[in-house]
Amino acid sequence: MKFGIVRFPGSCDEVDAQLACSRFGEAELLWHRDSDLRGVDAVIVPGGFSYGDYLRPGAIARFSPVMASVADFARDGGPVLGICNGFQVLCEAGLLPGALLDNAGLKFACRQVEVVVEQTDTPFTRACEAGERLSIPTKHMSGRYYAPDEMLDRLEAGGQVVFRYAEGQNPNGSLRDIAGVSNEAGNVVGLMPHPEHAVDPLLGSADGAKLLAEPVAA
Amino acid sequence: MELEVEDPSQLPAMCEKLLANPLIEDYEVEVLS
Repeated sequence: MKFGIVRFPGSCDEVDAQLACSRFGEAELLWHRDSDLRGVDAVIVPGGFSYGDYLRPGAIARFSPVMASVADFARDGGPVLGICNGFQVLCEAGLLPGALLDNAGLKFACRQVEVVVEQTDTPFTRACEAGERLSIPTKHMSGRYYAPDEMLDRLEAGGQVVFRYAEGQNPNGSLRDIAGVSNEAGNVVGLMPHPEHAVDPLLGSADGAKLLAEPVAA
Repeated sequence: MELEVEDPSQLPAMCEKLLANPLIEDYEVEVLS
């Protein structure tokens, strides 16, 4: 298993993601200006503040050369995971539905939350049980998941809501407590909490490791 | 935001592709001169 972790100017969690993924296989950084994905088996679009979050989080990063390759990789069924800012980038790139707005209350949210796994038929959640609760940290300013009602209904009906904040733990006002979604095919997943920060009991939780252990193509 | 552009007819495309996310943002274009 070979992971590729995209590094944009302003990324700040790519090394943590690389270290987390290296527990389960090879993991190398992919510079945003390179369009060669170097034969990776899975792509991680990590957290941070790509391009300083100018304009909107993820709005500029989506135009990086590497993103065209990531889109091709996703179109061919390759597993892609967007974490926090990576989730925002994938939404801006149109690889995931919806958008992430500023948190309700306009405060940065940094806390450990429990998320409920709603969909196990993705490359990143197949090691989980449906309804399983994972303890994973969040840290973001713009994590309020938004989509129009009819789109939300469609996502729910199509099994594209992959993670939901456990009752009472929604840190940002996300609609329907949504913490993560997938594309229609299920091979592209994004979530606001950071599984790469929860891969060892010394970090307070190892639950995030379940998402990174072996993302094989759906 | 105010922009100086050579071809104002490109502004809607600029809004759709970068400046605005139509899912969450509205925009209108006003040519000042």
